[in-house]
Amino acid sequence: MSGVVTPERRATTAPAGASSAARGPRLRRERREWLAAGLFLAPDVLGLLVFVAIPMVLSFALSFFQVSGFGSYEWIGLGNYRRMMGDPLFWDSMKITGLYVVVLVPVLFCVSLGLGLLVKQRLPGVGAYRTALFMPYVISLVVVGVLWKFLLDEQTGVVNRAMRAAGFDGASWLGSPGLALGCVIAVTVWVMMGYYMIIFLAGLQEIPREYYEAARLDGAGPWTTFRTITWPLLRPTSFFVLLMSTVAALTGGLDLIFVLTNGGPANGTSLAIFYIYQQAFGFGEYGYASAMGSFLVLIMVIVSAVLFTVTRGGRFDDGE
Amino acid sequence: MLHHRAAAERAAAPPGATRRRFLATTAGAGAAAASPALLTGCGTARAGTGRLRFWNFYGPQRSPDPAINAQSKWFVDTVARWNATHKTQIDLVYLPRNTYINGFKLPSAFATGEGPDVFLLSPGDFLRYHNGGVLADLTPHMAKEAVDDFGSALDSRTVDGRVYALPMEVEPLAMFYAQDVWEKAGLSEADIPTSWDRMLDIGDKLRAKTRAGLVFETNPGYLQNFTWYPWMWQGGGEVLDESGEVAFDSRATRQALQLWQDAVRHGIAPRTPPAAGDVISGFKGGNVAMWQQGIWNVSSFKAYAPAFRYGVFKLPVPPGGRYLTALGGWSFAANARSGNAEAAAEFCVWALGSMQDDAVDRMVDWCVGAKSDVAPRESALERGAAKGGYDSAVMRRFKDEIFPGGRAEPRYPPVVYKAISDAIQGTMLADRGVAGETERAASAIAAYTESYKGASLI
Repeated sequence: MSGVVTPERRATTAPAGASSAARGPRLRRERREWLAAGLFLAPDVLGLLVFVAIPMVLSFALSFFQVSGFGSYEWIGLGNYRRMMGDPLFWDSMKITGLYVVVLVPVLFCVSLGLGLLVKQRLPGVGAYRTALFMPYVISLVVVGVLWKFLLDEQTGVVNRAMRAAGFDGASWLGSPGLALGCVIAVTVWVMMGYYMIIFLAGLQEIPREYYEAARLDGAGPWTTFRTITWPLLRPTSFFVLLMSTVAALTGGLDLIFVLTNGGPANGTSLAIFYIYQQAFGFGEYGYASAMGSFLVLIMVIVSAVLFTVTRGGRFDDGE
Repeated sequence: MLHHRAAAERAAAPPGATRRRFLATTAGAGAAAASPALLTGCGTARAGTGRLRFWNFYGPQRSPDPAINAQSKWFVDTVARWNATHKTQIDLVYLPRNTYINGFKLPSAFATGEGPDVFLLSPGDFLRYHNGGVLADLTPHMAKEAVDDFGSALDSRTVDGRVYALPMEVEPLAMFYAQDVWEKAGLSEADIPTSWDRMLDIGDKLRAKTRAGLVFETNPGYLQNFTWYPWMWQGGGEVLDESGEVAFDSRATRQALQLWQDAVRHGIAPRTPPAAGDVISGFKGGNVAMWQQGIWNVSSFKAYAPAFRYGVFKLPVPPGGRYLTALGGWSFAANARSGNAEAAAEFCVWALGSMQDDAVDRMVDWCVGAKSDVAPRESALERGAAKGGYDSAVMRRFKDEIFPGGRAEPRYPPVVYKAISDAIQGTMLADRGVAGETERAASAIAAYTESYKGASLI
């Protein structure tokens, strides 16, 4: 046992000259690796810093000012936050955003997972299906909005024509407060499902095939296999999809809303992000918009923290 | 063993393929690629050359729509003519219409002190830009005769007798109707409605499953407010009275909101515009019988549906009401904070507001050549008429019957616009009570006007 020399003991027992000679190349290598890592990370960190972190800090600072939009700034302390607390339109937009997130995220999750499971099968032409399902994601949201505006048109839209052909009355999909938000959610699912389908597909392909073979030999059916193998082993992927789609729902959809409804009917699709944009760039209320934006970021941080806590960050269990 | 193999692989690798060399090359290539972008971002074209920038949503551009091409050409020719005769040069900067009107480019540019030297301004934005101190006073560059020639067309662009923007067009609203649909229903020109009730009756008669009987603007925005104001004015309603006090909560306001609500509630008017808002397609496709629209559509009909049979008539009035319509239209404005505000202001006046024949002819070309509008200057209106610009039945009716009962689009700031917009949307599309929405909007406007500081709202 005493003849065994671990690297650590060797380092302490070896002559000083030999020690520095051995450590020298290793330190140089470590330094080079740090340098490489730093260089590879630098563009991303720099981009995040310049385009995300610094604007966020500046926006937060702006929220304490009355800003004219033409270069004048007046310190008003918490004035914008007080205004926000008493603004019924802002709270309406927050309620609509809450409903949008609560409906969109689970629906998007289930549809994407279902499609991921479907296109994982070895079907003839599955590549074409994957491409077709991913296609909406690469189309500009403005184009998507115009396309769906025509499809959902009250008089001549394909959806209403089909309904009338089937003997039903058509509906004003984008003109009724009760339907418009649902349509926006449906179109958003249509756009985003391909992207999350690919994420799920990657997660599904990571699961070793042997597990499924063993389950089949044990006589497990599709539901049992999904419940005991696929679902637990998809946990990190599910967490990623859940987090990303929640953040996307809280902050995205602006282009689509602009084209489809412009926040109407009767503010029925005025998501918080739309209302903030309208206040900033439509009305020149940059300080007030910054206050609402900062509040939305806070909500996002809280939601993300809750998701991390509840799902343990997508880890399989503590310690792994 | 591993060490030996790694050493052997390094020895066998070509001299250029080391990690250090790779990193150095990558960093160098990245820096080389980023440099031009960083350097060009250091300054605007204006900073380097002293040229003025004219932001607009017409040109230069190419479009399958001949009307849009003609409008683009007018802008290009106007700027080219100025550049050929003046030392200070101007560059046209085209922004797509939606980007210009709803986007963040123009407000961001002004917020960062990089606003364009010359730009197009709508009545709805006038006060915000004026109160922000970015509108140059054009009065010193204008002859008194020219100011008089514009007449009341300058009212909404004037503060304390000083002119801050020059209208390039006047765009009255009227009711467009499809003559074939009208005739198939056994109606003739004699049946053109002059009252609200009659208009609803005819709309009800003409509507079908795939055809709207009567269309009002449904999308929330400045355009919807603009198209709604005449219905309120006709009954004597006002948002603010002559002394600037809030007058929105009135019988006239409530009946105007009720009109739109009834039209939608009874299925006479749709909840969304037919053909996704494309007026020409909506009419050509037989999906519309009547549509409240502006004069600007005449040039689109001429370009895209020259054979389509349509007519226009004055907006009907309520019992005891008086005919009024709203007059829209955009203006040229100069940035008071431009590096060369004098030249920018001079350009606006040279283009539209001088007493030179060129300026009047230019306005005529715009209003009856490139577009179909009423000219905001008396002299241009006369010259346009003499050139045959208002000879068609539709344009003649606009000039002689519809325009004379017109009133300029108000210049209410965003908070007032939003309060009115919410009342229109709430009653029209969410079926909320007219009285409650009127009251709520009036309170919001009153709260705003109490603390408002700036030029007169009316």
